[in-house]
Amino acid sequence: MSAHGGEDSVLVQGVARGESSALEALYRRHSPRLYALLLRMLGQGADAEEILQESFVDVWKRASEYRPTRGAVEAWLITIARSRAIDRLRSRGARLRLVREREQQAPDVAVTPEPPDVHAHTRLRRALDALPVEQRRALELAYWDGLSQREISEQTGDPLGTVKTRVRLGLQRLADLLAG
Amino acid sequence: MLAEAPVTHTEFLEQVEAYALGALEPDQARAMAAHLAEAGTHPECEAALRRAQETVAALASDLSPVQPPAGVWQAIASSVSAAPEPAARERRRRPVPGWVYGLAAAALLLLVLGFLRYQAVSSSEAMAKAAAAQCARELADAHVDLLRKEDALKLLVEPGTQVVSLARQAAAAPNQTGTGVVLYHPRGRALLIGQRFPADPTRDYELWIIRDGPPVAAGLVPSSPDGQVLTDFRPELLAGGRPAAFAISVEKKGGSTTGKPDTVILVGALGPR
Repeated sequence: MSAHGGEDSVLVQGVARGESSALEALYRRHSPRLYALLLRMLGQGADAEEILQESFVDVWKRASEYRPTRGAVEAWLITIARSRAIDRLRSRGARLRLVREREQQAPDVAVTPEPPDVHAHTRLRRALDALPVEQRRALELAYWDGLSQREISEQTGDPLGTVKTRVRLGLQRLADLLAG
Repeated sequence: MLAEAPVTHTEFLEQVEAYALGALEPDQARAMAAHLAEAGTHPECEAALRRAQETVAALASDLSPVQPPAGVWQAIASSVSAAPEPAARERRRRPVPGWVYGLAAAALLLLVLGFLRYQAVSSSEAMAKAAAAQCARELADAHVDLLRKEDALKLLVEPGTQVVSLARQAAAAPNQTGTGVVLYHPRGRALLIGQRFPADPTRDYELWIIRDGPPVAAGLVPSSPDGQVLTDFRPELLAGGRPAAFAISVEKKGGSTTGKPDTVILVGALGPR
């Protein structure tokens, strides 16, 4: 979670009032992490830039809908960006085949990365490593490849009900591990 | 779940993780969103969504941030200048000259000072006077700062807001001179206005909410070069009912690792309404 949660909420209120400077401040603060997320999901190319742009235009239009009781601003921004990225992935078609192909390739290398949050990295890695392999796999297919539970079932050959259980328990367990 | 059939409370809770991940089919996701739109009476649904969304956000926490090309912001700025106004914009705003922000900042501070004087919080008055000069300089420099202080003022004058003065505790070391007030509103907001919280490479100040049980950690006090602070207590922790008191402790860098405060230096009790 961002260390600037309270300030972020105030900025979103400013955006809701039509303050473009507040939108720019939010962008400066959060766009590097969102862009990294979109690059990882969509790969290099114009898609990540387009979705980043669309996401912040969305923030401009929907700022009044933000509710602090439903999560921090950073989580809200990630939800908006991922939702648009998933739509883009689904519009590409033949996604399951592309997922299989990508799994056989080396991971993308981010351009000009800034130093990662080492503490968060270690904590997340430890938490993911503690999950059962099947749960972790289901979460990764949903998170990075934008697969629905039905598509994960098709991809892995596991029954849909099993996939649903893995997604649910996996995210709950991850939440517990990250909070612990 | 049937396609676009209404989602029950139980079904929402069963699917909230997949919803937060974006792993539902479009019709299922629409049904979940529709349930959420009327979920003002379902705090359990909101809490579950918050937990799921923040866990989903944490999955991106190990990515190395990447600066997007400069053209992206330029494109956003062009889009929003041509876009319809945000739904909640209260009125059309014309460009505001910089000096207006200076005047607004001065007016804001006068109001804060007047309010605190009215409250007869003499110890806070000296703090507010000292803060005035510093705040005026800050507000002239940064519009973001102005937005934050405007927000604090709105909270200060909002009906129902209580001003809780934080009292220095005996355990505070001589060099731990931080002081401040908490603005509390029962709708679930608590904002610390503090000063003399200097950045320390070895220590952090941590916020705590006190009810009947043990204190609950509510976030770190962000450091600033001038030691002045405007920061919210974590809002999800305020949804659990009216606190009895607020406190600030001094902790090792990164905050308490035991779930308990180390050295409590400031405490303020929330009086009855």
